[in-house]
Amino acid sequence: MSVLVLNEVSYRYEGTKKAVLKDISLSFDNGKVYTIVGKSGSGKSTLLSLIAGLDVCGTGEILYGGSDLKKLDRDNYRAKSIGVIFQSFNLLTNATAVENIVLSMHISGRKEKDKKMFAYELLEKVGIDKETADRKILKLSGGEQQRVGIARALSHNPDVIIADEPTGNLDRDTEEDVLNIFTSLAHEENKCVIIVTHSKKVTSIADEVWGMHAGRLLAVEQKAQ
Amino acid sequence: MYILQNAFRNILRNRGRNMLIGAIVFVIIIASVVALMINNTADGVIDDYKDRFAAEVSLVPDMQKLREQLMEESTDGSVRMTRPIIPAEQYIVFGESDYLQGSIYTAAVGVNNDDLTAVDGHLGGGTNRRGGSMGGGGSFQPTLFLMKLLGNEFDDFTDGLREIAEGRMPENENEAIVSTDLAELNELSIGDTLTFESELLDDEGEPHEIEYTITIVGTYYDATDEYAEGIQQNAFTNRRNEILTGYDTVVSAFIPDHSGIDINATYFLENPDYLEAFAEEVYGKGLDSIFDVTTDEASYNKIVGPVEGLKSISLTFMIIVLIFGGTIIALLSSIAIRERKYEIGVLRAMGMKKQQVAFGLWSEMLLITCFCLVVGIGAGMMVAQPVTDMLLEHQIEAAEASVSQTSGPMIMGMGAVPANSDAEPLENIDISLGLITILQIIGIALVLASLAGIVSISKITKYEPIKILMERN
Repeated sequence: MSVLVLNEVSYRYEGTKKAVLKDISLSFDNGKVYTIVGKSGSGKSTLLSLIAGLDVCGTGEILYGGSDLKKLDRDNYRAKSIGVIFQSFNLLTNATAVENIVLSMHISGRKEKDKKMFAYELLEKVGIDKETADRKILKLSGGEQQRVGIARALSHNPDVIIADEPTGNLDRDTEEDVLNIFTSLAHEENKCVIIVTHSKKVTSIADEVWGMHAGRLLAVEQKAQ
Repeated sequence: MYILQNAFRNILRNRGRNMLIGAIVFVIIIASVVALMINNTADGVIDDYKDRFAAEVSLVPDMQKLREQLMEESTDGSVRMTRPIIPAEQYIVFGESDYLQGSIYTAAVGVNNDDLTAVDGHLGGGTNRRGGSMGGGGSFQPTLFLMKLLGNEFDDFTDGLREIAEGRMPENENEAIVSTDLAELNELSIGDTLTFESELLDDEGEPHEIEYTITIVGTYYDATDEYAEGIQQNAFTNRRNEILTGYDTVVSAFIPDHSGIDINATYFLENPDYLEAFAEEVYGKGLDSIFDVTTDEASYNKIVGPVEGLKSISLTFMIIVLIFGGTIIALLSSIAIRERKYEIGVLRAMGMKKQQVAFGLWSEMLLITCFCLVVGIGAGMMVAQPVTDMLLEHQIEAAEASVSQTSGPMIMGMGAVPANSDAEPLENIDISLGLITILQIIGIALVLASLAGIVSISKITKYEPIKILMERN
């Protein structure tokens, strides 16, 4: 059974007539990496925000585990079921990296005995050492912030991980590491990973690639299993 | 719990802004501490004085009103004013009221004894019938008395003006004490029994002889002037001729509807607020409208006036500080929330519920307020006494200046109640911090914190995380 199902999802921003998303139907399964590609303004990020439960679609439905997101407690959904890696990181800038992770674990209600230790381990996994983890976000580079964002998305062990240009600020080596993490999450931990990207390298690790143009889903490329 | 921890960390993370908010809260709290301490202590003082002065009721003729009445009735424009009296039995009827916790009655009657020589007897006697001609009998010549039998008039003993020289105070009916001067003049001894004559007048002005048989149980020294009260100097007004006995002894010869025994009463209300109801009751029971039912308001005002002024100033000051401070806190909170919009967006995107975000912000404000509360109470306690002393001094000066401006040629009618000459305004108040004051300050602090919280909550409910993050990005 698909973990996420989009049925004829359409969306338009408040006060505008033009639909940003038009009749999108799509299913996402556990254990796979999906990438969504397309030009700027094609509706990729909007689609991600709907999947992330940050907004609700105008028509159609998004089902998580068979339940319509409109009827679910979306705060709870964001806290526990979804991990979002934002293009612009969206971290608490006056808190340290580790505080960001620990807070996310608290919000999700994750039962970890030593949350701080777990956060350090998670950060180390994405290439942030303890010293860097104790620094405020404002004092970290773009690449380091991106890695903290990834660690935060993983901190509450969500079913679905969505990422908006997750490697855009990373160097080649770290990009490789991060992509390995995504593939490992999907293939070894049976998570559903959805990535919006322009990067061919990111697309190359995807199990399914979807294109978007003017709010419509265009094409699909499915790798042979 | 993590929300509180995060709130605490946020206070340290945003020191600059929180110090500004803290400074304003501190000013509000310290002002409130001082104002409430003054207010509550002043309340205690005022209540205490209210009980002492406002509960004591007198029935006093309004001489101005009487003058006007007589002027209206006069045909030739001249009036002869006589002090109206309240019949003795009315005094007793008025005392039977549920509004009273007690009554003190005094009685006086002029008496003669042909076998006794009064002090200054050569100056002649006088009459205790004020106005003499009440009740008609225009040609009647009142009997002049040389001595006074006073019932229950022992205030001078408690004031230290008189004291027992020998024997004891009268305890039973028909017992009395006399002045050492009168005793020496007449070689009176303790245990002597004396008979005094007096007379009462009926409605027609006809005299009825009455008699008192008194046993002397003591003598008293009198440290006052012989004519301390009277304008006329005669044996009757000489204080050395006052024979002091119990109230019951004097009224034992009382005949209803007869004048001659001058009865007076002071009533004590259960609660000073009952004054109006008690007045209504006594007028209903037949008190002449020429009489006012009053308390010793003048003494009360003189003593407590400056304290009331102080209380009023402190309260006004507190209200102004609360309004301005509250407005500034509300504005600062509003600005702070705008500044923290992104943070709120991130927290909401992470799945934190609106109420949790609001609780976090409120907790921050509460923690700041609690810190300011502790420091503010300490600082407030230190400055409250000097501030009170300074304000009270100004109030007393202002009251004195006001009195000196208005105390020019003042006409005071007979029987009006002047302020006690020995009533001095309160010059010191010991300010203290009571439990009620602490609770009130905590209440104010909570309201301040909640005010900021309400502003935050009202803003947060309008924010959607996607919009915040999109704006930011």
